[in-house]
Amino acid sequence: MNTIEVVHIAKNFGKTVAVRDVSFEAVGGEIFGMLGPNGAGKTTTIRIILDIFKPDSGSVSILGGAMNEQKKELIGYMPEERGLYQDINLEKCLLYLGSLKGMSRSEAMNRLEPLLERFDLEEHKKKKVKELSKGMQQKAQIINTIIHQPEVIIIDEPFTSLDPINTKLVKEVMRELRDKGMTIIMSTHQMHQVEELCDRILLINEGKDVLYGDLAGIRKSHAGNAVLVRTSGELPVLPGVEAIQTSNGNVKFILEEGMSPQDLLGALSSQQVAVEKFEIAVPSLDEIFIRVVGEGSKV
Amino acid sequence: MKKIIHIAAQEYMRNVLKGSFILALLSIPLMIALGVGLALIITNLENDSSPIGYVDLSGLFSDPIELSEQDWKVEIISYETETAAREDLESGKLQAFYVLSQDYDTSNEIHLYYQEEPGQNATRQFNDFIQLNLVAQRYPELADRVVAGDNVVLRSVDGKRELPDNGPPLNIILPLIISFAIVMLILMSSGYMMHAVVEEKENRTMEVLITSVSSSQLIAGKVIGILMIALTQLLSWTVFGILLILIAGQGMGIEWFQEAKIDWYALLAIGLLAIPTFITASALMVAIGSTVTETQEAQWVVSIFMLLFWLPLWTIGMIGDTPHAPLPIILSFLPFTALMTISIRNMFVVVPYWQIIMSAIVQILFALTAIWLAGKAFRLGMLGFGQKISLKSIFRKPVEVRE
Repeated sequence: MNTIEVVHIAKNFGKTVAVRDVSFEAVGGEIFGMLGPNGAGKTTTIRIILDIFKPDSGSVSILGGAMNEQKKELIGYMPEERGLYQDINLEKCLLYLGSLKGMSRSEAMNRLEPLLERFDLEEHKKKKVKELSKGMQQKAQIINTIIHQPEVIIIDEPFTSLDPINTKLVKEVMRELRDKGMTIIMSTHQMHQVEELCDRILLINEGKDVLYGDLAGIRKSHAGNAVLVRTSGELPVLPGVEAIQTSNGNVKFILEEGMSPQDLLGALSSQQVAVEKFEIAVPSLDEIFIRVVGEGSKV
Repeated sequence: MKKIIHIAAQEYMRNVLKGSFILALLSIPLMIALGVGLALIITNLENDSSPIGYVDLSGLFSDPIELSEQDWKVEIISYETETAAREDLESGKLQAFYVLSQDYDTSNEIHLYYQEEPGQNATRQFNDFIQLNLVAQRYPELADRVVAGDNVVLRSVDGKRELPDNGPPLNIILPLIISFAIVMLILMSSGYMMHAVVEEKENRTMEVLITSVSSSQLIAGKVIGILMIALTQLLSWTVFGILLILIAGQGMGIEWFQEAKIDWYALLAIGLLAIPTFITASALMVAIGSTVTETQEAQWVVSIFMLLFWLPLWTIGMIGDTPHAPLPIILSFLPFTALMTISIRNMFVVVPYWQIIMSAIVQILFALTAIWLAGKAFRLGMLGFGQKISLKSIFRKPVEVRE
């Protein structure tokens, strides 16, 4: 069953179109990437999902229906910027926010202790939030998002201000939560993190969903007719090749229409070329992002 | 309900434990203590209770009438010679002495000798002494009457209020003091409210909160928390007031404090007006907090409301002179000015009960409007974190965000 179903939502603020037409689904046990340039409508979409705003049209279903007060306790949300009280100590802040998610104080305490230890914040729990570094505050926000063991986690730029060690830690936590069956929607600009973590993605541009689906499938569909080859000797002139690009010892063959990678492999083999590496050249998510945002059409 | 209690408790604890709250809590008692202390210091500096002397060369005051014991705070000593008086002045027994010339009856010539300027009380008392004895010599039968003086009582036109000439008794000004304290409470509490909203908007905590509770729960929790803060302040000030009256009245025997009685009519009027005024102020602070982007900017807007609250105090003379004139009556119905204006008018006259009830109804209507406005501004404010919301946009069209 889909945990989240967003169907053709649209939202205007006066004359400003924030979301034009966005649809997608997210299921339990996946990390879903939400991408888009600044001002694309990601935050508004998230706020509509969270029922902070009502959409002008379209519908959202979360955990099997419309949002209600009970469901709020099953959702964890981390906004991009801050989101914690700055002038109270970390422990009190997290316990209070936890209590608003329906946890008793003892329950919240029991869950908080191991999380503080895991995120290496135990010794800082009595410090005021504003006394913590940005990275520590970011980890504290992640704790706040997951302390009540939600079924749905919506997390905006989770890796901001984190060093590589903490980035690794957060990734591990996210994977664990996914493996436990939670639905994680991650909004980010960091494409390599999406490539590493996400199962499926949605790219929003100018308030519209322009790219949606399985990440591997999307990359494959944007691969074009190109092959990445590394050989040990000189390359002969090959038929059916439109262009050749060389980079880091790899040669990228852009094939003419009608020429398949299999044909190229056959040609290399027939000319006795020692092939060390042969793979379909798939574009990076960065390249797809730039290409699709430039085109502005749904794929 | 549990979440509302959590929010209220959090709001209460966050503010009550702050140094600024403790300072605010002590501000009124400190201001009163400072005022009383300064008055005592100034009085002590101006007055001197050591004796004064006089040498009567005119012979007019050989058998003087003494002032009544109540007024005779400074002893007046008669000397035969200027030398004797001077000796006592130099030895510090006297603060000053006067020499009445031989032809004082016609010349009015008096010489004053002192080492440090004598206290105002002493010079006033000697003037009274001279006037009394001059009258007694010419019209002996009037002397006692002159000593008795006047007892002017100011009475309101409706005959329901009396003000003695030595100033209003405590029971008359007590409702005004209570109103003053309540206005201070309203301003401080609504200030906390506004600060809480702006801060949560600024640091995006609002966005997290609103995904945990409804906006109605959030506002209700905050209002209850702030109300508890106000009650804490009110309770502590009440305890201070009672202690002050008991210590000054019973302990120190100051008559003015012994007259303290509760004017239930004036207190009821305060109660009827204070509650809707508190709600109006708090709701408007939520609205302001939602529409501005920075605490500093919000405080600037709040200062305008403070001016309105204190307007009746600035016009207290006019209200006292003409308590039933159109302007005091208009101020009795306007939000923010009603509470203080009616309390001031109640000092001089008894404000008709229908005006108090009508004003309370008007204040309730303003409170409801302010709640509506606050709700709308709060929801609209959530549309644009970090953006200013104009008043026009609040009234323009319905905001389609969650309740």
